[in-house]
Amino acid sequence: MDSVSAVPARPGAIVFDRQAKGLTSIAVKGFLLSLVTFGIYRFWYITNLRRYFWSRTIVAGSPGEYTGRGKELFLGFLVALAILVPVYIVLFALGFAYPPLAPFAGPITFVFLFLLGQYAIFRGRRYRASRTLWRGIRLGQDGSALTYVGLATGWWFLTLVTLGIAFPWMRASLERYRIGHTLVGESRMTSTARGSMILKPWLLFYLVALGPLFVSILALLVANDFSFPADLMIADPDKPGKFVFNPIYAGTPLATYGGAVAIVASIFIPLALFLIPYYRARETRAFMNAAALGAARLNSTLKARQFYWPYIVYMLSILGYLAAIGIVIGGSAFLLQTSGLGSGAQVLLVIGMTVAYLGSLLLFAVLYVRVITVRLWRAVADSTTIENVEALDAVLASSRRTASGLNEGLADALDVGGALEIGF
Amino acid sequence: MTVPAETVTATGTLFDGRSARPNPVTLRLGERLEITGAGLREDWNPFDIRAGETEPPTMRIGLAGNPVRVEFTDRALAEALVARCPDLRLDDEARGGVLRLVLWSIAAGVSVLLVAIYGVPVAAGILAPLVPQPVESRFGLAVDGQVVSLLGDPPLCAEPAAKAVLDRLVARMTKGAGLPGDPVVSVRRHKVANALTLPGARVIVLSDILAKAETPDEFGGILAHEFGHVAARDPTRAVITAGGVSFLLSLVLGDLTGSTVIVGVGQAAISAGYSRDAERAADAYGVAMLIRAGGDGAALASILERIDAEADAEGSLTGFLHSHPYTKERAAKIRSLAGGTRPDKPLLSKEDWQTLRGICPAEPRTPAKPATTPL
Repeated sequence: MDSVSAVPARPGAIVFDRQAKGLTSIAVKGFLLSLVTFGIYRFWYITNLRRYFWSRTIVAGSPGEYTGRGKELFLGFLVALAILVPVYIVLFALGFAYPPLAPFAGPITFVFLFLLGQYAIFRGRRYRASRTLWRGIRLGQDGSALTYVGLATGWWFLTLVTLGIAFPWMRASLERYRIGHTLVGESRMTSTARGSMILKPWLLFYLVALGPLFVSILALLVANDFSFPADLMIADPDKPGKFVFNPIYAGTPLATYGGAVAIVASIFIPLALFLIPYYRARETRAFMNAAALGAARLNSTLKARQFYWPYIVYMLSILGYLAAIGIVIGGSAFLLQTSGLGSGAQVLLVIGMTVAYLGSLLLFAVLYVRVITVRLWRAVADSTTIENVEALDAVLASSRRTASGLNEGLADALDVGGALEIGF
Repeated sequence: MTVPAETVTATGTLFDGRSARPNPVTLRLGERLEITGAGLREDWNPFDIRAGETEPPTMRIGLAGNPVRVEFTDRALAEALVARCPDLRLDDEARGGVLRLVLWSIAAGVSVLLVAIYGVPVAAGILAPLVPQPVESRFGLAVDGQVVSLLGDPPLCAEPAAKAVLDRLVARMTKGAGLPGDPVVSVRRHKVANALTLPGARVIVLSDILAKAETPDEFGGILAHEFGHVAARDPTRAVITAGGVSFLLSLVLGDLTGSTVIVGVGQAAISAGYSRDAERAADAYGVAMLIRAGGDGAALASILERIDAEADAEGSLTGFLHSHPYTKERAAKIRSLAGGTRPDKPLLSKEDWQTLRGICPAEPRTPAKPATTPL
């Protein structure tokens, strides 16, 4: 045991606890108490989880420290509610009160929540940074959340306009802003993240997801001389108000290529989902390598398979569990039907199902923390080292004020990044 | 108190809280903890020492309210500290325990639930009459489209002669009733015997009601019942209630996986309990309206019982009807409200009634879009 935990051999290593002892009890307690407290305990649960993960991550021989409090998050959540509830009501009433706006109420709500969400992401990060200590030095974040919102909005707009091509540059730009405003004591972190660093993994994802689709749509257009007959869709003779494909076009190139588009979309878009962990691993590695604090640089050797394994293990455990519980439920239902025990047994079955349902949720929640969160965290931590770690000795503490829990309350109320996040 | 006999010595690293520079130090735990290093000397009282959460054997200690931290990995020293520092794991900032938190949270959750069950319907009752007429009609139009498509886009029945009879009947029944806005009654071909009231005084009658009604008074009773919902603004009230309850339960109680079930069950329970009262009120209103229009108040009870009996016989779940509970109880109440007197002539003449029953053309017409365009 001493050989695996303790102080790492290399001076600049980042390591995470090998066994994650005590984590299961935090997760079980957190889940059950959240259930009986109508979810209010989740702020204390998240705080416990963070304290655990921070303190088990040993950076250059010294474990991290999380000093946040559940109470701070809860108060922040209450304040965020006080702001959000009137906003929600106004957005809801907008559609009613001003008729011309009614069709736009949905998009307006979406845009507003997007802006607020970006704001919350940045401010939530500020809270977490100010509650993080390493070697007794407090981290921090400055910069303006409004600027971040503007930056994110502009980049998302550009990404949409370019059909996603600008996505890596958006990620890099936002990463530079976030890291560039992260402070360790008095020292500012810097990032040299560039969109070109993650262009290749993004293009792979992009080509798999959209490439075949574009090709098939192009083929459809070419085969039909870029024009569609006006009576392609006709009114459904069985259901008024619905439209169906006009049968006279069956067998024409139009139908053949149109079917090809549908098949291509249904194969390659799900396939691209499997590339998300690959992209995330590549991006994490590139951005880690680009981050520095003075002369000390991060160096990551993260492999994509380290991001796949946790999900595979998690999915397999859930599938196995579901198969087992399906057999149990099916068996008991069969027994009940054949024996005809009456209402007493049915009540028993309902109680059993409720217990099984809650038990399954508990199991999934604990598995998620133990398998996915721990393994992803460990993959990132263990694959990262600090070069020029001696340069960190020069970091001085700052007298900055700490950020309040209000910063993260909004993020929780909006459900963006309120949960445990890997790194910063 | 037992005075520790032996002194435990170990090496560690001190961080002074001002810089990240590690300072190698020697820790000596006797009656007090002495920490010495190059140019450093600390002398700590064991009562003031606090330990942070770390993974054993790494241990991080400091003094309460002091930024200086010492980290070491020596097991013997760690054990000695645990034995000699009574407040080692004391959390100076924590107030109250988890139990207090849990109890208060449960109290808060119950209070939110009570507001959702009792407060929101009352608030909806106050708010519903405040919704301006044009807003409600526009909303009703949108809901109409959704409901029609939920029903599977049944065709609109509007044989001109029958529609004229229906319109005359509606005008006669609602004359002087003081309904909020003129009711828009439409008939749609559907195999379920039911009628629905939507916001904006919109009433959809499904054609099977006409088939099941044996007298014009029975059909009039159904209409009058629906106008009762219109008068009480029940649909708007129900929409506001549903919106408020789901908003309260989902936003305030959080999105923990289990609570979605609670939200669903809660909403169903609340709306069921709420609609029972609304149905009784609409029955009473309907009986009064039917009698005023010269109809037989008890006819509503007859058709309700018939629909219920046939639904039982078919063994089918008759769609929306499951929110019309306690048919027997309702029928008895309706009969007692209607009294014993019966009018001499039916609500509609024989010819008019025959015309009205033919409102749905025998064959479905060409699948043109219905007049009230679904959104």
